[in-house]
This record gives sequence, C-alpha cells and structure tokens, in this order.
Amino acid sequence: MSTANASAPAPSPTTPLPATAEGRRLRAMNLLFELRAFIALFVLIAVFGVLSDSYLTWDNLVTMTRHVAINAILAVGMLMVILKGGIDLSVGSTVGLAGVVAGVLLEGLRIGFLDVVVYPPVWAVVVIALAVGAGVGAINGTLVTRFNVAPFIATLGMLYMVRGAALLISDGATYPNLGGSPELGNTGFDFLGSGKIVGIPTAIWLMVLFAAAGSFLTRKAPFGRWLYAIGGNERAAELAGVPVKKVKTRVYMISGVCAAMAGLIIASELTSAAPQAGETFELNAIAAVVIGGASLMGGRGYVRGALVGAFVIGFLADGLVILGVSTFWQIVIKGAVIVLAVILDQAQQKVQRRGAAVAAAVATGPGEQPAARAAT
Amino acid sequence: MKVHPKRMRFTVLVAAAMSALALAACGSDDDNAAESTPAAAGGGGEAGGLISIITPSADNPFFKAEADAADAKAKELGYKTSVASHDDDPNKQSELIDAAISRKAKAIVLDNAGADASIGPVRKAKEAGIPVFLIDREINATGIATAQIVSNNAQGASLGAQDFVKALDGKGKYVELVGKESDTNAGVRSKGYNDVISQYPDLKKVAQQSANWDQQEAFTKMETILQRNRDIDGVIAGNDTMALGAVAALKSAGLLDKVKVVGFDGSPDAISAIKKDQMVATVLQPAALIAEMAVEQADEFVKNGKASKPEKQSIDCELVTKDNADEFGVFARL
Repeated sequence: MSTANASAPAPSPTTPLPATAEGRRLRAMNLLFELRAFIALFVLIAVFGVLSDSYLTWDNLVTMTRHVAINAILAVGMLMVILKGGIDLSVGSTVGLAGVVAGVLLEGLRIGFLDVVVYPPVWAVVVIALAVGAGVGAINGTLVTRFNVAPFIATLGMLYMVRGAALLISDGATYPNLGGSPELGNTGFDFLGSGKIVGIPTAIWLMVLFAAAGSFLTRKAPFGRWLYAIGGNERAAELAGVPVKKVKTRVYMISGVCAAMAGLIIASELTSAAPQAGETFELNAIAAVVIGGASLMGGRGYVRGALVGAFVIGFLADGLVILGVSTFWQIVIKGAVIVLAVILDQAQQKVQRRGAAVAAAVATGPGEQPAARAAT
Repeated sequence: MKVHPKRMRFTVLVAAAMSALALAACGSDDDNAAESTPAAAGGGGEAGGLISIITPSADNPFFKAEADAADAKAKELGYKTSVASHDDDPNKQSELIDAAISRKAKAIVLDNAGADASIGPVRKAKEAGIPVFLIDREINATGIATAQIVSNNAQGASLGAQDFVKALDGKGKYVELVGKESDTNAGVRSKGYNDVISQYPDLKKVAQQSANWDQQEAFTKMETILQRNRDIDGVIAGNDTMALGAVAALKSAGLLDKVKVVGFDGSPDAISAIKKDQMVATVLQPAALIAEMAVEQADEFVKNGKASKPEKQSIDCELVTKDNADEFGVFARL
C-alpha cells in the first residue's frame, strides 16, 4: 500500500526554471495563470463595485457568499470525482431527492402497516437525507466499478432515476411546510438555510466545513494522493497497489453527500421542498470546477480552485441581477466566462509544457531539447 | 467465464434491486402513461374508445391537476385514456401525437409545447381524422384544432394587478418577477400587470427580473434585488412558485410584514400562504375546469361528429384573496 503514495505523481509538477530571461517570463506567466480565477474574481468585484454602490457592502457580500455556498459545496464533491477522472451528473437530481426526503420526514412519515406517523427530530432528518445522498453515490460507484459503466453514462442514468424517485415519492408536489411544530419537537430545520452562527449564515459555515474537509482529503490524506494517482493514470495506480475500486466508490459517495447537503440548504432556505429543485445544478458545479483550473481528464485540480470558480459564477450572476441586466444576457455572459476559462487553461498548459521543455533543456545541456520535449 | 461466487451474489443482488426499482416505477406509471380501463362501460351509443391526454409535465401541480381532471372526466364518460407529458419538447410532443394517431385515438386533449411548433403536429392529427382540443395554451393558427380553450391570462393579470394596486394604496416601489421569457404567458401576464399599474404614476418599478418560473431562482434573485432596494413595498410575480420564492427571501430579510406579494396560478401552496397573510392575492386559473370542458366537448364531437362550441374559448380567471381563500381547491372552485 505504501508504495502507492510514493509512486503517485505530485499534484502540481512544478519544474524549477532557469534564471534566464525566458525562464523568468515563463515563471511570471505561469503564476498569472495559476491565479487567474482569483484575478477574475477580484476584477468582477471591482467592476461591479464601481457600477453599483450596493454591490460592495458587507451585507451584500454575505448574501452573495450564501448564494455561492450551494454551488461551492456541490463543486467540492464534483472536483473530487473529476480528479479521479470521472464525472457526476446526478448531483442536481440528488439535490432534489434530499429535499424531498427531508420534506417527507418533517411533515411526518406514515408507516402503513403500523398505522403510525413518525416525526423524527431535525438532526435525524439531516443524517437520513445525507445518507440517502451517500446511497445515490454508492449506486453510482457500483455502476462504475462493478459493472464498468462509463461514469458519464452511469451518472446520466442516475440523473433520471434519482429525479424520478424524487417525483415518485412526492407525487410531483411540493412539501410546503418544513418549519416543523413545537409539539412534535421537530422545529429548527430552517437553521441550515436562514440561521446564523456568530453573525455568519450557517450555509457559509457549511461551505467552509466542506471545503476544509475536501482540502484535507485531497491534500493531506492518502485518499487524495490515490485520487490524483487514479486520475493521472488509472492502470499505473492499480499496479502500484491503489485500491482503485474502493476509492472510486467512496468519491461518488462523497459527491452524493455534498449534493444532499446542498439540497438540505435549499429546502431549509425556502422552508419547502420541490422535487424539481436542483435541475442543471450539475452543470454549474462542473463549470465551477473547470473555471477553477481542474482538468476534466482527471489528475489535475484543487479544492480552492473549484471554490473560487463557484465564487466567480455566483458573484457574476448576482452582480448582473443588481445591475438589472436582462436574463438572456446573463446566460450568454455565464457561458462566455466558462469558455474563456478553458481557453486560458489550454494556454497555461502550453506555457507549462514550454517551461518544462526549457528546464529539461537546461538540465541536459543544449542540443538535447527535442528529446526532452518528446519526453514531456 | 468464471465468476467469483461472492461477486456473483452481489451482482444478482444489485440487478434484483434495480429491476425492483424499475418495476416500482412502471407500477405507478399505470395511472399516468399506461392505458387504464374505463370506470363505466360506455355512456352514449358511440362513446368509448381512447382519448389521448398530453400535458407539459407531471411534476408541476398545475399540469398535474389539468391531466388528472381530464383523465377523471374521460373515464366518467366511458373512455379509455392515455396520459403522457411532452416536457415542453416539441419533438416529443410530435412523437406522442404520432402514437395517438397510430392507436386510433378518438380525440386528443393537448396542452401544447409551443404556439408555432405545435401547428404541424396538430394538423397531422386533424388530417388523420382525430380532433384536437387544445387547453391552457393557444397555437398561432385557427381552423386546425377543434377547440382552443384557455384561461384568460390578460384578464387574470389585470385582476391581480388591480388587487396589487389596492394593497399598495396606489403608491410605492415594487419589483416584478417575470416568468420564462420565451413563454407566451410570461409576456401576456407581464403586459397585463403593466397596463394596470402604469395608470398609477406613484407606483415605481425598481427592478424587473426573470426567475424562469422557479422558486429557488426567485429566492436568490429577490435577495439580491433587496440588497439594492430594501425599501420596496410590493412584489408582483408571473406565477405562484416565484411569488413563494420571493416570500421566503422577504421572510429571511424580515420584510414580509411590510411588503405585499401577489402571484398568479392559484396553486394550493399560494392559497395557504394567503391564509397565513404571507401573500396578498393570487389569480386562479381554472385548470381543472378547462380540462373537463375539453373532454366534454371531445365527447360531444365523438357522438355528433361536429364541434359544439366555437374554436376559441377564453375562460375567466378568479382572484383569490384572504376573504375567499377557503372557497378554492386544487386549481378549481370547491
């Protein structure tokens, strides 16, 4: 097992560049690219801040961050799936299902053969909904690992099945009253979406919690190194002893839990749960991950990048609403930002390859450059 | 091929679980997509046969009420029914109409997938000798469908706007949440609102956004709009789902007491919000009534071979306020 850690490629292969003019230039460009999502975010905040005096206020920043939290939590899970070279299209449907499960439980679960109605406490509702999310992930993982269904297809199938399940459970209707009642002792669900801890909304704390956990898992834990290893070269990782199937299944379960959490926050904000909630959320999460610089091929990307990606999307969307820009333009601009992010990513790849070639050429001496380039 | 017994067991288990799921799905499909036998065996001499009911989606209570009402009425009159949804996809709608033609349906009751995109499929059905009764949404052509029975969105919007103006005493700042901008009804309702409200110069619209008929989107956009305009007095929304999203945002901002919210559709959730003083009013579209009318007219057409009513029929909407909220059920007067 321990050999796996050693043989896994480093998350970020930064080759030392020579102190020549070209080396310095490449290094500067590289840094700019690395930070491009952050730069984009600051530019956004600055531009909207100038255009509207209600944008750059503490209150609005908190509100926007709370809006971002939903997509950010999804993006943390999505990033980990994408790191291992997969994709999870079922998260949007899981958002809807988790809300519906919370709705059923909070409005009273009728157990037919006992003829009783059970009202579980809020903490149990949250745990059960998260477990349902993990269950969806487990099915995704099983389809991918045991049945060798391509992740895109497996999770696409689950996108429909999970949405269908949410509609079947709710019979297409919305659960309108998730407030609970004091007599039944199940009040307090609205805390997730509307509550505050030391002045900061709970949803933001949850985002921080999920991001920190994701960051720890990917950067510090063996699990993370395995993820990068599988995403980099699955066969090599397997030969090196990485428990590929276990890691893959776990990562879909994590993504399912993230999606369920997002679903609970939405249901809590609205104190109602609709089975249609979360439609196309999977695409927002993928967009955040891509803007954050991850590669859809796997093996490259960071939690912090996905987080910033979610902030870029959210702060842009809310800024356009504050300015009163037409919905049609909002959609166009969002699409353009995603495409631009990928173009920049390609450019960065080019600079990094060039940088690697220059470094290799210096290391092996002049004249060897073509061979070094071929090796990268 | 050798299979490890343990893995085999697991595989079988998963396969069994999945087929159980699929079966469960098919089971409840029965009330929706599959044919159901008539409750009563034929009323009049020529009644009976299949009525195909096609609506946009089953996951919206409005369309569900419509489909349920048509289904119940058709069975009551002695028909078999087939209920399906096209999910606002003109292509899927066309396929469903093809299916109805090949199954020799006696009539099609259709809530269509687009005023222009639906003309072709409806004509196709007419040429195959199947009368089409459009409900809820019109198409941009006459003489093809046997009937086009819609609720009067313009009249409804005007009702809603008048009550909105009354609730605001004819002055103040307000926000309009518009439906999906590609949807005809979104435009008709928005125009209906503005025709009334523009007569009151002291009412100022400070923001207008589309929230795509969606509750969560309305919630997010409303919160963002409130960042710039905390001093608003009212919100008028193109449907109830968006109105309820706005209610949630206003509640979390602590503004629900002073901001008046008006919606459209008359959904059960909105009516309960009106009873709790969270919304001022909504405009009820008699979806169930319209669906029943369409089936009754289809029945008459089957029996007499000709339409009993003019093609274009517009049914008035009703205003639901706290005073009369108890009189309404699921998209219908009780």
